[in-house]
Amino acid sequence: MPYKLLPIFKKELINNKYFIITFSDYEMADQCHPGQFFRLKNPQQNFPILPRPFSVNNIQDKQTSFLIKIVGESTKNLFETKIGENISLHGPLGNGFKIARNKKVLIVSGGIGYAPFPFLLKKLEKAKDEIVFFHGGKSSDDIFSANVINFTEDGSVGKKGLVTDGVEQFLQKNQVDIVYACGPQIMLKKLTEICKQFNVDLQVSLETIMACGIGVCCGCAIRIVENGKMVYKKVCKDGPVFDGYTVVWDE
Amino acid sequence: MADLRIKIGKMLWKNPVTVASGTFGLEFAELFDLSKLGAIVTKTITLLPKPGNEPPRLAETEAGLLNSIGLQNPGLENFIKNDLPEYQKFDTNIIVSISGSSITEFSKVIKNLDKQPNIDGYEINISCPNVENEGIAFGIDKGIVYNLISHLRKITERTIIVKLTPNVTSIEEIAKAAEKGGADVLSLINTVYGMAIDIETRKSKTKNVIAGYSGIGIKPIAIQNVFRVAKVVKIPIIGMGGIRNISDALEFIIAGSSAIAVGTQNFVNPFATLDIIQGLEKYLNEQKIHYHDLIGSVR
Ligand SMILES: Cc1cc2nc3c(=O)[nH]c(=O)nc-3n(C[C@H](O)[C@H](O)[C@H](O)COP(=O)(O)OP(=O)(O)OC[C@H]3O[C@@H](n4cnc5c(N)ncnc54)[C@H](O)[C@@H]3O)c2cc1C
Ligand SMILES: Cc1cc2nc3c(=O)[nH]c(=O)nc-3n(C[C@H](O)[C@H](O)[C@H](O)COP(=O)(O)O)c2cc1C
Ligand code: FES
Repeated sequence: MPYKLLPIFKKELINNKYFIITFSDYEMADQCHPGQFFRLKNPQQNFPILPRPFSVNNIQDKQTSFLIKIVGESTKNLFETKIGENISLHGPLGNGFKIARNKKVLIVSGGIGYAPFPFLLKKLEKAKDEIVFFHGGKSSDDIFSANVINFTEDGSVGKKGLVTDGVEQFLQKNQVDIVYACGPQIMLKKLTEICKQFNVDLQVSLETIMACGIGVCCGCAIRIVENGKMVYKKVCKDGPVFDGYTVVWDE
Repeated sequence: MADLRIKIGKMLWKNPVTVASGTFGLEFAELFDLSKLGAIVTKTITLLPKPGNEPPRLAETEAGLLNSIGLQNPGLENFIKNDLPEYQKFDTNIIVSISGSSITEFSKVIKNLDKQPNIDGYEINISCPNVENEGIAFGIDKGIVYNLISHLRKITERTIIVKLTPNVTSIEEIAKAAEKGGADVLSLINTVYGMAIDIETRKSKTKNVIAGYSGIGIKPIAIQNVFRVAKVVKIPIIGMGGIRNISDALEFIIAGSSAIAVGTQNFVNPFATLDIIQGLEKYLNEQKIHYHDLIGSVR
């Protein structure tokens, strides 16, 4: 996992609270697998201290992009860094999604959980999968594409309601082999219960606070059931993608 | 070129720069040649595997990092089988950090490691609870520190480094007890007790309520501890606590550290140790001073 300083190639604000930041580097673009992440930091910025993890959003024309939600100091600072200025990039890190071939696939994302899926979608299309994509957000601000089936809690775009309710109805009528999901814990937990009823494979991408990103510090531990026993796994190295059925969700 | 070589206990280091236990690992070998370091200190290992504390284990604060990892490690046997052979490939001093909950446990670990070649020293992490003394940390009682170190001294010829915690009333007393017990080197500081609260949930941000604070915020605390300890012991000190770059490192050296270790900054700039080695050569050349004369030269 290389560590590079690269100038920001492109930057674009989306719906006022998200932005896409793009870097142009052939080597980096070729190494990435969907679901992997990079640690990003503006090296000129002393605080917050730690580089922060962001999933690869898309790879296009050898350009690597990240979709980022502005939630605090680091994300605000990344947004305010000008085109041409350097960002440190550490990655690609983590395992990424397992690509299913010739399968019926359902992608489910909530909010910024949309981030890793444009890249995954490309690989799944190449693998000749039949794909349906459900995305949910609070309002129209959290919607990124008109080409997916959108749900909003306020009904401002797409169907009104929670994306998980849509998934449950969909699975009642349609056979699906595998679900890929990323979003808030509460959504993933509910999705796990739903998928269980229909006996569908489930890959979820998880988030924790990270320090090293490479398996050194043991700071990103989550609880996983392995051979009937609860063990700690590292989100940065063993994940961020896990079999949804093995995750011990927070209460 | 400036001569950066230095004797640390029974070891000869090619330069005075190492890494803080728990913040570094073999994974960094993908980024640079670890043989460039004066020494490598491993993550703390214990006799039996330790699963670590319940998550969340990390919280970043305004000027540092809180952690409550709980010494997660694969245990002595797995360490010897899987990690040690990898460390031994590097042309540098290998220091194994060890911990235990009793003198017997520490002794067992050292006796086993003493049979392994290419280990140059042990760093004794005494910030852990001692089951023989109602669970109070080894490192806060000078009598316990003396007993532990004098016992371990009889077992091994290799360099013994005692890692001191700052969470004590008088670090000088503990330092003197370690030296009297037979320690070759002292390293300091370990993390400072810390805590952060989520004001929405009113819970501590780490599951284990009290955590260890590291990074730039603890630098002045660490420097004053080095300064005080250097005055009362003759053995060398490895200074650490918030070191990010050459100027931070120089402060520790001038305060009395013979060598320095980079911890939390490894997560921010994995090349920080290399930058410091380079910066040190440049500084010594510019200031026309020998490294040995710089140590403890605070005026
Ligand atoms: C594997 C992974 C992939 C991610 N992918 C994306 C993505 O594609 N797009 C995106 O917008 N966000 C992503 N995130 C979340 C992103 O890392 C956080 O939103 C970011 O760190 C917030 O930083 P901040 O300083 O702006 O906010 P802060 O004020 O520091 O914190 C806001 C929230 O961010 C989280 N956070 C804080 N510190 C860290 C840390 N060191 N590591 C991880 N999370 C932290 C906490 O939940 C906190 O409540 C991902 C996280 C992980 C673990
Ligand atoms: C994530 C993390 C894990 C640590 N694990 C250990 C450990 O296993 N053993 C130990 O002696 N110190 C451990 N420490 C303490 C460091 O070695 C060091 O003493 C302390 O962090 C101060 O240095 P710094 O501010 O440069 O990080 C750990 C620190 C951090 C941040
Ligand atoms: S973030 Fe350090 S082990 Fe995962």
